[in-house]
Amino acid sequence: MDASEREQYRAAIHGDREAFEMVIRVHSRTLFAIAYGILQSREEAEDVVQDSLIKAWKTRWRVRDPEKFPAWLAAIARHRAHDMFRKRRTVPLTEQMTESVEPELKDSPALDRQLHSALAGLPELHRAALTLRYFEEMDYRTIENTLGLTNGALRGILGRALASMRKQLRPTLASID
Amino acid sequence: MATIHEEIDNWLAGDIHGELSDIERSALHTHLVECAACRKSHQETKTMNKILEETFTQEKPDPAFEQRMLSGFRSRSPQRSGLVKLLVDLMRLRAVQITAVAAILFAIVQVGRMITGENATALRGREHYLEDVQVSEVPAPASPPGQAGSLAKSDQLAAGRPKDMALRQSPPSPPATVEPAKVAQPGTSKTEAFAASPESFANAEEAGQSPVESSASPLVNRKLIRNATVELEIVRFDDAVQKITALANEERGYVSTTNSEKQANGKLRGQVVVKVLPENLDRLLQKVRSLGELKNQTLGTEDVTKAYFDTDARLKNAHVMEQRLIDMLKTKTGKVSDLLQVEKELGRVREEIEKMQGELKYWDSQVQFATVTIFLSEKDMEEPAAFLLKERTQLALYAPDVEKIYNDIKGLASPKVQITNAQLDRDYSGRVSARVSMLIAPEDSDAVVARVKGFGRVENFQVQTERIAQGGSGISENAKTKRDKVELNVTISREEQEQAFQQTSLRIRTSSVDKKAKELRNLTEKQSGRVRSSTFSRDPDGREMASVSLRVPMKNYSTLMQSLNSLGKVEDVSVQRQDRTGSQIDEASAPADISIQVYSQGNIVSSETGLIATLRRTLAQSAGAIMWSLRMIGVAIAFLAPWAVALLGAIWIVKRIRRARR
Repeated sequence: MDASEREQYRAAIHGDREAFEMVIRVHSRTLFAIAYGILQSREEAEDVVQDSLIKAWKTRWRVRDPEKFPAWLAAIARHRAHDMFRKRRTVPLTEQMTESVEPELKDSPALDRQLHSALAGLPELHRAALTLRYFEEMDYRTIENTLGLTNGALRGILGRALASMRKQLRPTLASID
Repeated sequence: MATIHEEIDNWLAGDIHGELSDIERSALHTHLVECAACRKSHQETKTMNKILEETFTQEKPDPAFEQRMLSGFRSRSPQRSGLVKLLVDLMRLRAVQITAVAAILFAIVQVGRMITGENATALRGREHYLEDVQVSEVPAPASPPGQAGSLAKSDQLAAGRPKDMALRQSPPSPPATVEPAKVAQPGTSKTEAFAASPESFANAEEAGQSPVESSASPLVNRKLIRNATVELEIVRFDDAVQKITALANEERGYVSTTNSEKQANGKLRGQVVVKVLPENLDRLLQKVRSLGELKNQTLGTEDVTKAYFDTDARLKNAHVMEQRLIDMLKTKTGKVSDLLQVEKELGRVREEIEKMQGELKYWDSQVQFATVTIFLSEKDMEEPAAFLLKERTQLALYAPDVEKIYNDIKGLASPKVQITNAQLDRDYSGRVSARVSMLIAPEDSDAVVARVKGFGRVENFQVQTERIAQGGSGISENAKTKRDKVELNVTISREEQEQAFQQTSLRIRTSSVDKKAKELRNLTEKQSGRVRSSTFSRDPDGREMASVSLRVPMKNYSTLMQSLNSLGKVEDVSVQRQDRTGSQIDEASAPADISIQVYSQGNIVSSETGLIATLRRTLAQSAGAIMWSLRMIGVAIAFLAPWAVALLGAIWIVKRIRRARR
């Protein structure tokens, strides 16, 4: 993190709206990737990002160390997405049937549907890591920092995630080959 | 590469995401060439990656996403207006938060005080007092307006509190309080005169007497007695008393009593009681404190309001009673005995009135003036007045006749030499020791000690001097030093018990032990030594041995040692000496112990080591060995036999069974 970035985060924490809007510009896609990874729904993910930003603005003074600001934002988005995910799961079964977990995927091709159900079978953290990697093409160090993981943990997570998806999609993959 | 194979998933993920180092990548590819299963996984993972990339590209947010987020943020968290924003930002500062919490707490306390009505009584006793005095002065004609003025002034001065506070405290007649204060304004210049002249004290006293009438006023006022105690350490007592007197005058007070006491070391300690107007008390205390080092200070206020007004009410009743009794006497009807009864009653009532008036007067005087008791002590109070030089001498003597010397020392007793303790012990083994303690006048001490030393051999002599401070502690430059009586403790022991100055042990080989031992005794006596013990023994092999222990004075030691050579071959001479440091010892006459073993060689071959004896022993030992081996064989049989029997039995049974089958 260079000095200008840190200065920007510091200003945002101290209530500089312009600095905070700059942070929104830079980080909202990352937050979206995290939320999408957990929720698998673009609309809900967008809502989560919006809510997270508002919440972050209101509680920005809780961050003592400006360096931790992006990780803190990511944590808010993750918790928020997780909350929404849980809320969705507690919706009565009949409603859930009609709304469905991935409503937009109803008409999508079989591969997509399989892919999404395989994704849904992964742990939340694995999904978030995958989306960060494939949405934002972030390198491993940045993803680890954003998700608050220890150094080198990501390779294992992504390895397991890919392997698990690969196993579920094996017949389809064979047909593609 | 077992690790790559086991963790192939992680390696493949790293590979397709370009997160492997060059070395890692080449290692992975080497493994992929070797391992078909991993190659398949690799292929699948690559396809998987491609699918994911394609799928997620579709799901990526559109380019307007950031703008939407921004506008959403702007609409949902509108910018605050200047003041609110400033306030909110301020509240986030830790210091501001703490201040706010403190302010809220303070406000709660204030509200609580207002509700419970506790607001002024305990905390502002001083203002109350002032206000009280002010009120009590109102109807007194003798009270000069200046005093009231000074009071009003001090009221403003002391607390910086608006006067309306005091007014609120006494709502029934506000004009009564305000008026004298107003009158006082032009008269303030008189206050100095009032304070300085003794007549003005008298005025003050009179003013103090008047509250009997003043208390008739319906005002709620308080009677508070203020007292203070100060403990100071000062350099010179008289100076301090003078200064205190000056300070008391300055503050319109006076010194009521002074007393002092001179310590043994010439330092003064005492007490000054100052009476001062209560409102000047704090100022006086502050000034007094600067006179010396403050050791202790107490400040007390006693509220006598209730008792005061109780007595006052009873006094009024008594006055009414008195008047009625007087009226009764004036009408003079009834029997003489009744009149006498009335007279008697009148006397009692008057006595009571006087008592109560006295009480009120006392309280008034107490309230009028605050009492400051100042305890003064001069610096270095603990400095000693004199020093006493105590000398203690320990003397240990060795003498051939303990009892004689014991009596000789006792014979020294005179008015200047007092024997405090004398003791002669003889234990069951006939050892005699004595102990004499005496006190000697300082001027004779040296001579007496020298005489006692001459009675025997001095083993130990110790002098201990101690300087004892009297009437204090520490050091003093001008305290006198006095020599106390010298204490002398003498222990007398028999020479026998004295430890040898030097110990020597040696062996002399000779053919005729008994004879040489006798010669040795003669030699010892010649050198004025003494044989302390002597033993003689002969063993069956014809070896003879004599042990002789003797003691000679050190001066004859070397002569004796030389003469020993004439007795035989001297061997194994060892000398041991313990030098006693720190004690005075007369080396020439100090005893030296010599223990000598005179011995002879026995038979070369003893009866026990001869040929026959050896043969006999050999036979006996071999017979013993045979017996021992026999015993061991018996033990082995006993050990193995049961198992052998059991094994044979088992074999027999097995054979029987086989035969029976066949």
